[in-house]
Amino acid sequence: MHAPGHTMTLAGRTVPVGPRAASSAVVNEIRSMPTGLRIWFGILLAAMAVGAVGALLALPPGWEVFGTTPSFEWGLLIVAYVFFAIMTSGLCLASSLGTVFGIERFRPFEKRHAILAVLSLTTAFGIIALDLHYPVRMVFGAVLVPSPSSPMWWMGVFYGAYLVVLLVEVWSLFSDHPNIHQWACTVAACIAILAPITLGAVFGIIAANPFWHGPFTPILMVSSAFLAGTALLGIVFYVVHRLRLADFERSASIALPSVRLLLGIGLTIVAALVVRQVAAGLSGTPPGLREATIALVSGPLAFQFWGGRVILGLVLPALLIAMPMTRTPVGTLAASILALTGVLLDRSLFVSAGQIAPTTTVAGTVSYPYATYSPSPVELAIFVGAVAFLAFTYTLAERYLDMGETDVHVGINWPWVRRHDTSDTDHDHDEPAEVPAVPAEIAAIRMGVES
Amino acid sequence: MTEPLNDGATPATAEPNPMTTPDPTPAQAADPTPAQAADPTPVTAEPTPRTTTDPGTATTEPTPAADPGTATTDPGTATAEPTPAAQTGTSTAEPTPAAETGPALAETPDRAYLVPLDELAPAITAASTSRRAFLGFGLAVAGGLVGAAVISRFIPIFEDASDAASPIAGTYDPASKQWTFVVDTAACIGCGLCVAACKEENNVPEEEGFTRTWVERHTVTTDGVLYVDSPNAGIDGFPAESTAPGAAGKPVQASHFEPRLCMQCVDSPCTAVCPVGATYHTEDGVILIDSRRCIGCGYCVVACPYGARYIVPAGGNAPNDTPGVADKCTWCYHRISQGQLPACVEICPVGARKFGDAADENSEIARIVREQKPQQLNPEYGTNPRVLYLGPSVEEA
Repeated sequence: MHAPGHTMTLAGRTVPVGPRAASSAVVNEIRSMPTGLRIWFGILLAAMAVGAVGALLALPPGWEVFGTTPSFEWGLLIVAYVFFAIMTSGLCLASSLGTVFGIERFRPFEKRHAILAVLSLTTAFGIIALDLHYPVRMVFGAVLVPSPSSPMWWMGVFYGAYLVVLLVEVWSLFSDHPNIHQWACTVAACIAILAPITLGAVFGIIAANPFWHGPFTPILMVSSAFLAGTALLGIVFYVVHRLRLADFERSASIALPSVRLLLGIGLTIVAALVVRQVAAGLSGTPPGLREATIALVSGPLAFQFWGGRVILGLVLPALLIAMPMTRTPVGTLAASILALTGVLLDRSLFVSAGQIAPTTTVAGTVSYPYATYSPSPVELAIFVGAVAFLAFTYTLAERYLDMGETDVHVGINWPWVRRHDTSDTDHDHDEPAEVPAVPAEIAAIRMGVES
Repeated sequence: MTEPLNDGATPATAEPNPMTTPDPTPAQAADPTPAQAADPTPVTAEPTPRTTTDPGTATTEPTPAADPGTATTDPGTATAEPTPAAQTGTSTAEPTPAAETGPALAETPDRAYLVPLDELAPAITAASTSRRAFLGFGLAVAGGLVGAAVISRFIPIFEDASDAASPIAGTYDPASKQWTFVVDTAACIGCGLCVAACKEENNVPEEEGFTRTWVERHTVTTDGVLYVDSPNAGIDGFPAESTAPGAAGKPVQASHFEPRLCMQCVDSPCTAVCPVGATYHTEDGVILIDSRRCIGCGYCVVACPYGARYIVPAGGNAPNDTPGVADKCTWCYHRISQGQLPACVEICPVGARKFGDAADENSEIARIVREQKPQQLNPEYGTNPRVLYLGPSVEEA
C-alpha cells in the first residue's frame, strides 16, 4: 500500500507517511478522545485560528494594525512577550529546587516544568516575532553584528541560549540521560536568573523613562517570574490531580502543597516590591516619575492597579493560601489563577505606567496629561492565540508524552545536594528530622481532599 | 557603535533627492574610485545590480569602489532583503561544515543548499537516540553559526551597493566637520514652515503623529501653570489661544515657540540600545538609521528622551520602501554633506534655526556659540545633545 519512500522509522516503529495514512490516523485518534478533550481542543483550535488571522495581519511591516503610537510605542504584545518569557524563567526557578538542589518535595515538577518552559518560551518568541517588523533581520543582525551595548541584544543571547538548554533538558529527560539532564537543569536554572534580569535591564536602562529606570526593575522581573512560574505549575498540577493524569498521586500530596509554599514566598516578595515601587515613585525626584506613579495609583490606571493588581493579584491569593479552610487543591488553583493574572496585569501596568505620562513631546504629539493606548483587535487576537497555543501544545504533551516521573534526576549529586541512597530516592534517610515534616503536610492535604 | 560599512549609506537612500544626486553613468559606476571610508573590504555580496541603479534611490556611500566584476552580480538575487544572509543562515541550520557555506554564498545555487528531508531524517533520528550524534548535531549547528559570523567579517553581506560616482566620496571629509545646530526660541514665530519643508524634503508621512521636526508653544498662564501645545506639530501655525487641555480662557503671562528636532546627542541612548546596530553615529557626529537593518523593535523610540523618533507607517513615505522601521531627523544629511543647509534652516524666515560647522572659527555658528553661549535642553538626561538653544527655552529649563 505504501511505497518504501513513504515510511519512516520512529522510535523503532515503521510509520507510514502520507496524506491518507496521516488523516486516517488523526481521525481515529479524535474518535478515541473523550468528549471533554474534544471540546477543549476545539475551543483552543478556534482561539488559535483567531490568533493566526491576527498574526497574518501583523506580518506586513508598517501596517498600522496595532494600537501603538510613537508616544506609546510598546503595547500588549510587548506585555505578552515579557509575561511568557519571564514565566519560562519562573518555571525553571521553581523547579530548580528539586532538579538542582535535590529537595524531594519539589521533584514532581521535573517533567512538566521542562515541557511548559519550552512551550512558554516558544510562545514568547512567536509573539515578539509578530511584534517586530523584521524578525528575520533580528536573527541575522544579532548574530552577525553583535551590539553588546544593548540590553536587548543580551536578552536575545540569553533567551536564545535558554531555549537550546531547555531543549537539551527535555530531550535528556525523555531519553533517560540523567547526567546530561542534571547539567541542563543546572545551566537552565542559572539562565533562568540571568534572562529575566536582562529583560528587566531592557527597561531599566532607559533613563528617559523614570518609571522603568533603575536597578529595581530587574529585581521585580525575577520576582514576578518566580511567582508566575509557580502559579502556572499550580494550575497544571491541579488539573493533573483533578483529571487523574500521569503521576497524579504525588500531585495533591506533594506538588500542590509545594506550589502553595512557593506562592506564599513569591507573593510576599512581589508585594514588598510593589510597595517599594509606589513609595519610591510618589516621593521620586526624576522628572516624570511622580506623574507616572500618580497615573498608576490615582490616575487612569488606578482601577486596574488597586482592584486587579493589589486585591485580586496579591491580597486574595495570599489569603487563599494562608487560611486553613482554603488550603485545598481548589484553593491553590484559585490562588494560582489569581496570582498569574496579577502578574500579567503587573506586566501590563508596568509597561503602561512607563509610557502614559511622557516627559516630552514625541514626534510632534503632545500627550497631556496622559498618552492613550488601547490594544487593537489584532493585538488581542494574537494574545488570545498565544495563550491557546501554549494550552494546546501542552495538552498534546500531557496526552502523548510519558509525564510520569521516572526518577531520572538521579544523575550527578552536586556538592550542595545531600547524598542519599540512590536506590531509594523518595525518602531522605540522612536527615531524619525532616522526614516527619513532609508526611504531616501530606496528611493534612489528604484530609483536605477527602473533606 | 559606528559601523564603518554603512557610514553615510542611509541618508541618500532614505531621502531620495533627484535634485542633488547626480545620475550615475555606467562608466562612472564602474570606475574604481579610491575610497575614503576606513573599510578596505570590497563589496562582493550586495545583491543590488549596480548598473541598473535608479538615480532616485542611488546611494551616495563613501565606500570603496567595488570590484567592477561585482557589477555583474546575478540580478536575480536583487532584493531589498539581504538574500545572501538568508542563505548563510539557512545553511547554518543544517549540520554543514562552516567551510561549505562559502561556495554557497558565491555561486547562489538554485536551492541546492537545502538537504532533502528524507536525507536529513536519519541524522535527526540518530541525534535523538545517540548522545554522540546529538552533541555532533549541536556542534555542527553552532559551528555553522560561528562560521557564518566569521565569513561575514570578510564578506559584508549587509553592504549596500555604493555609488562610486558620488560627489560626497570625492569632496566631503566628515571627520573635519563639527556640525552644530542652534535654535533661537526668541526669534521663532511659530509659522510652521520648517515642519512643512522637512516633510517635503524628507518624504515624511503627512499624517499627524509622524514628524521629524515640530514646533511647540509653551504658554505660562498667570496662575503659573505651563501649558504646551503643538497642533498638528505646528505645521499650519498656531491659533491665538493654546490648545492644551485646561488652558483655554486663562490669561497668559508669557509664551514662546520652541522648535524641536533630533538632538544628535553625543552620548545617545538610541545608538546604545539598538540591538542590531542599525542606528549609528557618522564620523561628523550625525546619528543615522540604516533602514535595511532596522528590525522595528521600537527600543530607540522609547529610549529617546527627546521624543525624536517614530516608526514609519506603511505607505509611500517609507525609506528604501521599507515601512515599519525607525525614522528621525538627520539634519538633512544628504544636504549638509554636499554643502547645503538643512531644509528647515534654509526656509526659516526669521533665522530662528542656525546651522554650520563650528570647527570653522570664522563661521557664524562658531561666533554664536562663542558669544551667545547657547544651552542644551534637559541636560539632566546626560545625553549631551548637539542641538543648542537660545532664548526663553533656556530660561524655562
